Amino acid sequence: MRPHWIALQPEPAAQPELADALRAWAWRALRLTPLVAQVDSVLVLEVSASVRLFGGGAALLQALLQAQYGPLAPDPGAASASVASAPRLAQGRTALVAMARLQLPPLPRLPIDALPVHTLAAAAPHRATLARLGVHDWGTLRALPRGGVARRFGAGLLDALDCAYGQRPERYPWLTLPEVFDEALELAAQVDAAPALLFGARRLLAQLQVWLRVRQRGALALELQWQLDARRSNAAHTDSHHSGDGWGRLQLRTAQASQDMRHWERLLAEQLARVTLPAPVLYLRLRAPATQPLQSESRSLLPDEQRSGDPLHQMLERVAARLGPGSVLRVALQDEHRPESMQHWHPASDQAQRGARRGTPCGSLCGMDAGLYPAWLCASPQPLATGPDGAPRFHGPLALLAGPQRIEAAGWDDDCGVQRDYFIARGAVSGLLWVFRQRLSRSDAGAAQWYLHGLFA
Amino acid sequence: MPAPTSSSYAYAADLPEHVWRADALAAPEADTVSSGDAALDAQLPGGGWPVGALTELLQASGVHLEWRLLLPALLRCGQGPVVLVGVPTVGSAVLLPFAPALAGLGLPWQRLLWLRAADAQLWVAEQALRCAPVDAVLVWLPQARPQELRRLQLAAAQHHKLLFVMRHSAAARTASPAALRLQLAPCATHATGLRVDILKRQGPPLARALDILPAQGQLARVLAAQDHDVCEPVSDRAGGGAAPAPVTAATVMVNAASLGFCTDASALDRTAA
Repeated sequence: MRPHWIALQPEPAAQPELADALRAWAWRALRLTPLVAQVDSVLVLEVSASVRLFGGGAALLQALLQAQYGPLAPDPGAASASVASAPRLAQGRTALVAMARLQLPPLPRLPIDALPVHTLAAAAPHRATLARLGVHDWGTLRALPRGGVARRFGAGLLDALDCAYGQRPERYPWLTLPEVFDEALELAAQVDAAPALLFGARRLLAQLQVWLRVRQRGALALELQWQLDARRSNAAHTDSHHSGDGWGRLQLRTAQASQDMRHWERLLAEQLARVTLPAPVLYLRLRAPATQPLQSESRSLLPDEQRSGDPLHQMLERVAARLGPGSVLRVALQDEHRPESMQHWHPASDQAQRGARRGTPCGSLCGMDAGLYPAWLCASPQPLATGPDGAPRFHGPLALLAGPQRIEAAGWDDDCGVQRDYFIARGAVSGLLWVFRQRLSRSDAGAAQWYLHGLFA
Repeated sequence: MPAPTSSSYAYAADLPEHVWRADALAAPEADTVSSGDAALDAQLPGGGWPVGALTELLQASGVHLEWRLLLPALLRCGQGPVVLVGVPTVGSAVLLPFAPALAGLGLPWQRLLWLRAADAQLWVAEQALRCAPVDAVLVWLPQARPQELRRLQLAAAQHHKLLFVMRHSAAARTASPAALRLQLAPCATHATGLRVDILKRQGPPLARALDILPAQGQLARVLAAQDHDVCEPVSDRAGGGAAPAPVTAATVMVNAASLGFCTDASALDRTAA
C-alpha cells in the first residue's frame, strides 16, 4: 500500500470564531485517520489506510471539508467566504513532499525531483550555500555524493532527504482527541467587565462545538474559569464566583445534552451579567466536565407539523438563570387531607430527583372530592372581618352556601390540633369563596375566627 | 342597540355576498379554540378564543374567575404545558393555583407550569410564547403599558399561541392592543355562573353582558342540592344572628359600560393584529 499524505494549513485569520483553528482541524481530521500530527503550523495526515473506506481520495477530501460538521468548513452558499476560510491542502507520497507542495502554488504540480530545495525544512538553513553550488531542486541534491553532503551539511539533511523519498520511515508526535474538553484562551486584551468575557467564551464555545460534533456527544455541564491579573491586590478577592486563588469560576448545567451553542451562550450571558470581576482577566478556560452521547434527531418524511420555537427545557433554564430557580415551579401532588399539603410547588430543576423519591401519587386525590376544591388557594389563610352578627365579611357580607366540612390537622407537625370547618361562601362582588372557621380544640372558648382560604375561580 | 326591523333584514338578505355588513363579526384570520359555551362562542369572532392574539380579561380586585372561563379552552388546545406567569393576589395574600382542584376539573397537573415572576412578567411571558411545546400562556399583569402589551400581542401572533392577560378592571379605561377584551364578574343569579361583558372585539360592540353557566360540575350539583337549606350560616356559634341577606335575584342590567365609555375605548384602540 503506497503511503498517502495530506498536508493542511488553515488560513491564519480565516476563522476568528474559533479559539484554536488548527487544533479544531486536527480533531476533524482524527475522524478520518488516527495518524494526524502537527508540524509547526501545518497538519499532516497519513490517510492510505482510510482512502478505501471513504471511497477514494477525492471523497475523503470532501469528507474532510464538508459543511456538515459545523463552522470549520466553508458555507457552500457563500462563495467568497469559502475561498477565504477553506484551508490550503497539498498531497504527496510522504509528509515532507506534501508539506513542500503546500508552500508552492498548486499548479503546476511538480515531480519530487523538481521541488525547490528551500521547501525542505532541513535544507532551508543551507539555502545560500546550496544555491552557490548550483543545487536548486531535490533531485540535484540527492545526486550529490552522500559522504560529502553529510560532511558539509550534517547528517540531518540526508536523513530528511531519505524521509522525503520514502526510504526511511517518518515519525511524528501523533495527536489524539482529548477525552475531556478542556481548552484555554489567552485574551487579546485585558477584560474588566464580566459580560465582556462572553466574546472570548464564544470562541471557546465554537471550539467545544467542534469537539462535541467529532465525538458525537452533547454537553450537560460546562465550567468557565478565568484567571485574574495576579499583579492586582484584588486578585485574592473571595465571593461566590471567586475562591481567592486568583481564579474565578462559573458552572452551568442544562437538562438535556445538546450541541446547540446558542443556548449555552444565552445561559452564560445571563450568569455573567451577575458576576463582578475584582481584577482584570487575561486567561479564559472552558471545561465540559459532563457530556453524554447524543441521539441524532430523526427527520420526518412528511412536511413537519412541528411548531417553531425553543425547546421547553431551554426556556425554563433561561428563566431560571435570570430570575433564580425558585421562580420556575412545577407542581407535585401528595396524598394528604389538609389542603395546604395536597400540592407542593417546587422548582422545576429538581423535578427528576423528586419524581424518583416519592412515586407518583394522585389517583385517590382526583377522585370524588376534587371538584369541590377551589381552583385558587391562598398561600396562607387570610383572616376575615366579621359582621355584627358574627358572619364573615369579604367585600360585603358572605352567604354560606354549603358546609361545614370539617378538616382536622393531625398533630404531626403542628403543636396543637386544629379543627377547621370549611364552607363554600358567596359574596355579591367576589363570587364563590372557600372560607373556614377555626377553633382550637384546646381552648374552645372565645369567638371563632373566620379565614379565607380559597377562591372558586 | 335597536332591534333591526324585518324590512332591513330582508334588504340585507338581498345584498350580494361580498357586501360588507356592519353588524357582521370579523372573519377569523387565525384559528380559534372554542370557549366551551355556545352563547359565548357565538359572540366571539371566529367562534372561540383567538389563537395567536392577545385576549385581555379584566376583573375587579379580589375577583378571580379566569379558570372557570378558560378551562374548557385549555382542555381543548392540546396536551402541552399551560404556562402561568405572574403572582396573582387577593388582598395581600398570594394565590396558589390549586392543582388537585384543576385536575378534578380535567386539567392534568403535569401540564401546569408556574413562572413566578413578580416584576419581569413581560419578559418571561415572551420567553414562554417563544417556546415550541407550550400551548397557552396566562399572564397576571398588575400594570402594563400599551407598548408592552403590543409586544406580547406580536409575540403571540408570531408563535401562534393562546395568550390571556389578566388585568384589573380599572384598565378598561385605557387603550389596549388586545384583539379581545372581556370584563368578568360573578353572575348575579347563579352561584357558579359568570357575567361576561365583551368590551372589545373585531366586530360591532355588544350592548348586553352575557351570563354564562359553565357545564354542570360537582360544585354546581352540590350547591343545587343544598339550595333549600342554605342561609343558615353561623348556626351554633353566632347565636342566632340574622342570616345574611340572600343574594338578590336576577337584575338584568343594561350594561352602561358597554354603551358608554367602552365604545369610546374600542374606537380608540384598534386591534394590533
